Amino acid sequence: MVAQQNGQVVTVNGADIEVASKGSGEPLVYLHGAFGYRGWHPFMDALAEQFTVYAPIQPGFVDSAPGPDDIDDLLDLTLYHFDLLEALGLEAPNVVGHFLGGMIAAEMAALRPDSVSKMVLAAPAGLWLDEEPGVDYFATPIDELRGVLFADPDSDAAKSVLPEPKDDLERGTQIIERVRSLATVGKFLWPIPDKGLKKRMGRIKAPTLVVVGEQDKVVPASYGNEFASRIEGASVHTMAGAGHMMMLERAGEFAQLIRGFMKS
Amino acid sequence: MKISWFHLMPYRFLPKDFEDKYRSVWVDVPSHLFEADKAHQLYNEYLDELEFADEVGFDGICVNEHHNNAYGIMPSPNITAATLTRRTKDAAIIVLGNSLALYNPPLRVAEEFAMLDCISGGRLVAGFPVGTSMDTNFAYGVNPAILREKYYEAHDLVMKAWTEPDMFAFNGKYNQVRYANIWPRPLQKPHPPVWIPGGGSVETWEWTSRMNYVYCYLSYSGYKRGIQVMNGYWKEMERLGTDDNPYRAGFLQLVCVAETDEKAKELYAEHVEYFYKKCLHVYEGFADAPGYRTIRTLKAGAVAQLGAAANQTRQAMTWDDFVEQGYVIAGSPKTVIENLRGAVEGLRVGHLMVLLQIGSMPKDLTMKNTEMFATEVYPELQGMWDEYEDHWWPQPIEEPEVAGMASAGD
Repeated sequence: MVAQQNGQVVTVNGADIEVASKGSGEPLVYLHGAFGYRGWHPFMDALAEQFTVYAPIQPGFVDSAPGPDDIDDLLDLTLYHFDLLEALGLEAPNVVGHFLGGMIAAEMAALRPDSVSKMVLAAPAGLWLDEEPGVDYFATPIDELRGVLFADPDSDAAKSVLPEPKDDLERGTQIIERVRSLATVGKFLWPIPDKGLKKRMGRIKAPTLVVVGEQDKVVPASYGNEFASRIEGASVHTMAGAGHMMMLERAGEFAQLIRGFMKS
Repeated sequence: MKISWFHLMPYRFLPKDFEDKYRSVWVDVPSHLFEADKAHQLYNEYLDELEFADEVGFDGICVNEHHNNAYGIMPSPNITAATLTRRTKDAAIIVLGNSLALYNPPLRVAEEFAMLDCISGGRLVAGFPVGTSMDTNFAYGVNPAILREKYYEAHDLVMKAWTEPDMFAFNGKYNQVRYANIWPRPLQKPHPPVWIPGGGSVETWEWTSRMNYVYCYLSYSGYKRGIQVMNGYWKEMERLGTDDNPYRAGFLQLVCVAETDEKAKELYAEHVEYFYKKCLHVYEGFADAPGYRTIRTLKAGAVAQLGAAANQTRQAMTWDDFVEQGYVIAGSPKTVIENLRGAVEGLRVGHLMVLLQIGSMPKDLTMKNTEMFATEVYPELQGMWDEYEDHWWPQPIEEPEVAGMASAGD
């Protein structure tokens, strides 16, 4: 039996932030990527069976403070997350981060190695390989986005994030949502996501699992080794057949993987 | 009324099947299509055309900045302008302009514009576009989330460098300069007139009004659509309590002049179609990087001229559609005069810019178009807006120097 989902409001640097949470047990903070950040997803439920899961929405993704203009760079963003953990009363929680969220988790663990207990980096952003640039998601028109983000663009998971718009109004809302989220992650990742993390990663002490999707077009699977080889003791798991939005496409498998790793 | 001759400097030799075979004329246009020996020919003929425009009496000649772009092979308009300062005598040199956020430090723009102003004897118009998303975000890698902030800061630095009497320190977010102290400084005082090219965003209208700059709507969709946008601009000026002097505004219009309307179609149709079908063939994903436009502008319904929908519309259009819908004003001098006068009145613009070299148009035809415009159309539009004063036109010195013969000295 899974506990009720709770919302709690914490104050970070004078701004009220609403953080959804659920479950009981050790704290686990999930830091989202560029898409699928709204709502409470099945993989979170599966994690909440074992952990107290916290799922904050990062600054800039919704109309709330702090807005995107309050955070200038990656250091500001990382410091904001330290403050957020403190406001939530969490000391060294487990952290699971997807894409930009993975980059934030890695930055936190590098800047303050004692701030993260165990860490899962899922399709993390932050490194760059000339020979594996991936699809330029910033230049992907809305109609092609599902095909880039999901291994199967016609799956229910894909349609839950980007449904077929019923009318122009819905389409307009999707267009604005796409712009807002990509502009927000773009602030930290444009035009190439290598922003210096690689020289800081050697400081990471947290036991780390890197998860990549075999079919990921945004962060190709080869980035798994790039991340893991720079973090002492880290291992890589490649999810067969999964795309960039692996945690929605393969919720049960994704949660199982994390639970197994956290237990080890 | 001021009429200026605008050059985009398109690459004229794209293959016939370009728009079917490749996804974009801009950003990732295949580099193997560029042939440097042809560019040698093009640059020289295009400079001839700009110089000719001065000779036949256009008030200004306009150059602009684009990157990774086969419809505009002019990444540095200042180089073009520099050659023109020496080879022309009367025309205003209108650089539209330097995309400020791309220069590091932007003092480089303050310096180069000051050089152009000094060399030309005060004929410079300083244009400061934000720059398109293709140029700034995709080709030059500037982060769309900070582009506008960086642009405004760069503008402030350039203006301060031109107008502060003494050296100063500039502590900006994107530029920190301990010794801002440009040599040379502009000849025109306090600084050359400033024109801001824009795509119709409300924020830019407010800003140009506040700064007392010229707003230029550079559209390729012609005056009929332009009038809707400029109506919005003039309404906004009224709301802000700014006067309605037509010289506050500029507009770019494609024009084709021939002996008769039929002759115009015969001469120009293929070049106009080359322009709209090849030169504006831009991949939708490059038209508008996320964050390039503000959410406010997006919600206000600003639609890019480029991208899938606009592309599809244009691919289906023919000469008759382009003329009918006002994209191009074309025909006999009588037809052109009539339509252009209506356009200028409808748009309420004092600074008309005309594009007379269009797409694949070769030099002889461009010269013909230019000459016919100068002799038969231009005089008929003189006198419009004479009741207003143009506060945004260069103030050159009397009898400026131009290129002279090198002498051995004595």
